[in-house]
Amino acid sequence: MSPTANFMQKEQTVAAALPWLADAALLEKQKSPPWLRALRETGAEQFAQTGLPTTAREGWQHTNLRPLTSIKFHYSTEAVKFDARKLPQKLLEQSDCIVLVNGQYQPHLSTIPDGITVMSLMEAAEKKVEGLEEYIVSLGDLQEAPLKALNTAYVRDGIVLKVQAGKEIRRPLEILLYNTGNSSHAPAIYPRILYCLGDNSTLTLLERHTGEGVYLANSYTGVVQESSSCLKMYKFEEESCAAYHFSFFSLQQHKDSIFEGFSCATGGQVVREEYQNQLIDSGISSSLNGVYLLQGRQSHDFAVLMDHFGPDGKSAQHFRGVIDDQARAIFQGKIHVRRSAQKTDGHQSGRALLLSDQAEADFKPELEIYADDVKCGHDAASGHLDEAALFYLQSRGISKAEARALLIQSFLNAALEHVTFAPVKKVYEERIRLWLAR
Amino acid sequence: MLNIENLHVTVAGREVLKGINLSIEAGKVHAIMGPNGSGKSTLSYVLAGREGYDITGGKVAFMGQDLLQMAPEDRASAGLFLAFQYPVEIPGVSTTTFLKTAINALRKKRGEKELEPVQFLKLQKEKLTQLGMDPEMLKRGVNVGFSGGEKKRNEVLQMAMLEPKLAILDETDSGLDIDALKTVAEGVNNLRSPTRSFLIITHYQRLLNYIKPDVVHVLARGKIQKTGGPELALLLEEQGYAGFYGDGEAA
Ligand SMILES: Nc1ncnc2c1ncn2[C@@H]1O[C@H](COP(=O)(O)OP(=O)(O)O)[C@@H](O)[C@H]1O
Ligand SMILES: [Mg+2]
Repeated sequence: MSPTANFMQKEQTVAAALPWLADAALLEKQKSPPWLRALRETGAEQFAQTGLPTTAREGWQHTNLRPLTSIKFHYSTEAVKFDARKLPQKLLEQSDCIVLVNGQYQPHLSTIPDGITVMSLMEAAEKKVEGLEEYIVSLGDLQEAPLKALNTAYVRDGIVLKVQAGKEIRRPLEILLYNTGNSSHAPAIYPRILYCLGDNSTLTLLERHTGEGVYLANSYTGVVQESSSCLKMYKFEEESCAAYHFSFFSLQQHKDSIFEGFSCATGGQVVREEYQNQLIDSGISSSLNGVYLLQGRQSHDFAVLMDHFGPDGKSAQHFRGVIDDQARAIFQGKIHVRRSAQKTDGHQSGRALLLSDQAEADFKPELEIYADDVKCGHDAASGHLDEAALFYLQSRGISKAEARALLIQSFLNAALEHVTFAPVKKVYEERIRLWLAR
Repeated sequence: MLNIENLHVTVAGREVLKGINLSIEAGKVHAIMGPNGSGKSTLSYVLAGREGYDITGGKVAFMGQDLLQMAPEDRASAGLFLAFQYPVEIPGVSTTTFLKTAINALRKKRGEKELEPVQFLKLQKEKLTQLGMDPEMLKRGVNVGFSGGEKKRNEVLQMAMLEPKLAILDETDSGLDIDALKTVAEGVNNLRSPTRSFLIITHYQRLLNYIKPDVVHVLARGKIQKTGGPELALLLEEQGYAGFYGDGEAA
């Protein structure tokens, strides 16, 4: 390619990216610290250079964002109007709940347990909450993640949540991210969430992403887990069927900390959940598992990176997908073991059950290992329901529908069995049951 | 109980059953013997309602109902049971879950109340002990990691728990040592009653020493070639199937 052609192409990318940054100037008028403004500018510049990822981009081969370009999304700095009665009920009876609507924190609808402080992101920035600037600015490579850059160009909404060192938060905490939009006014929502767990603290989170109508939810969640902390994070990706969901999850784990994550994905039209877990010190355990239940023309991409820096770390990824109609599931799981990460134990597994001839599953397992004393493995496979097993069950009097449900549930259980908090496991099982009976 | 009339079945473009006539009365034990490939399993699968068989003629009545029109699960709730020649492995579904789901599905269809968990476990334990099975097996996936003999015992366990009206046993004896064979036979004999019938499919006469049949049929070349009493089984044991072979059949 000639230098001119290269330049022209770049110009085109910048031009194409501009509609996505059209409303970013609104933020200029907002009161915010200079470092935050500088950060937005960096985000916007970076995004303008790459634009939305195309299927030619590494890691994006199977997620097509083209449908996004035909919708005009609006960003707004105004307080969102909504009917509080329409918000969904909590998932658990015994829990506290934090509510965000279109990314905006709703303190009057939230209950915060002792030992936790929660602020909106802007409040935290104004109050100069310790470590916030450093954490938000050290974002990692924006160029590698265009949607993270886009989210950064709009950084304003969202919350900062801190758990005091030594606190064991017994009651599970639900984070409801409710989104609302319609096709004549489809909002683009860019929440940024920061969870900080102090030394020796524990927290169980249920992060529920849901809503109605057309919208784009492009979220960024940063998590810092100090030494010996324990976080269980259970996600429910239940976006509206017309919605687009792109979430980027970045976790920094310190010595002897434990992370147990799970995502049950049933919603959205085009969805990508990206996870980057950094096991920074020694003795860390990080496990991220999930199920996807897809139908219609849904497309869902789980892109997971377990990045081992310290020795004696343990990481696990178990994903199971049930794919119907013309839906498509993508699992890109990577285990990266750095030279310093001796005695790493890493495993990943991705399986899909295709319920129709047009359903599709694309798996890309990847191991990148620089340490010599490690135990790492992966497996990936997709297939159809076992007809012989179906008939065997039916021949014992079990109806075809029930036999199918039994086989699918047992298939999904290989991922679900890693959920150690029983009340949430029950909710997930109920979700699966409802999906099967749809 | 069961009445098969002129049943013709084609599998993968080839006619395997070429006009089967067979009638089983309540309380009777019938045996079907025949060379390998003669269509014994095909007959059992067609009766149980497996897909992939082209029924080109004939009819089957079971308890006065048109069996061939019924879904497999409805045949089961009407009282038909097939002990598979090759029991299927179902990883991830424990044997207990499987048995409980099956028994409650049948009860529901018959308008009976589901079994209380305690009642179920008691019943399961009782039958398990009768069949000399290891309770550990119940926790494993259905038939997963079971030996050939364990799989066959598991079929008999299911039969004992589901209490069918007509049980078809497809080569339940094959691959069993003499002790296992006796246990399986005992399991069947315990269930014998004036209202329950059996169709025992076997290649060898051996099992029939322990389960006394009322009627013995020889199936070969897609048809019942001969019908007689228990003495017919002994005759076959002596003389083999020579004279009955057709294409693709072997001793
Ligand atoms: N699914 C199938 N596809 C093709 N041929 C089959 C199938 N099932 C059975 N057959 C054929 O039908 C004949 C009868 O088989 P089968 O009923 O299993 O005999 P048996 O149980 O008496 O040994 C054999 O020739 C076998 O190869
Ligand atoms: Mg056979």
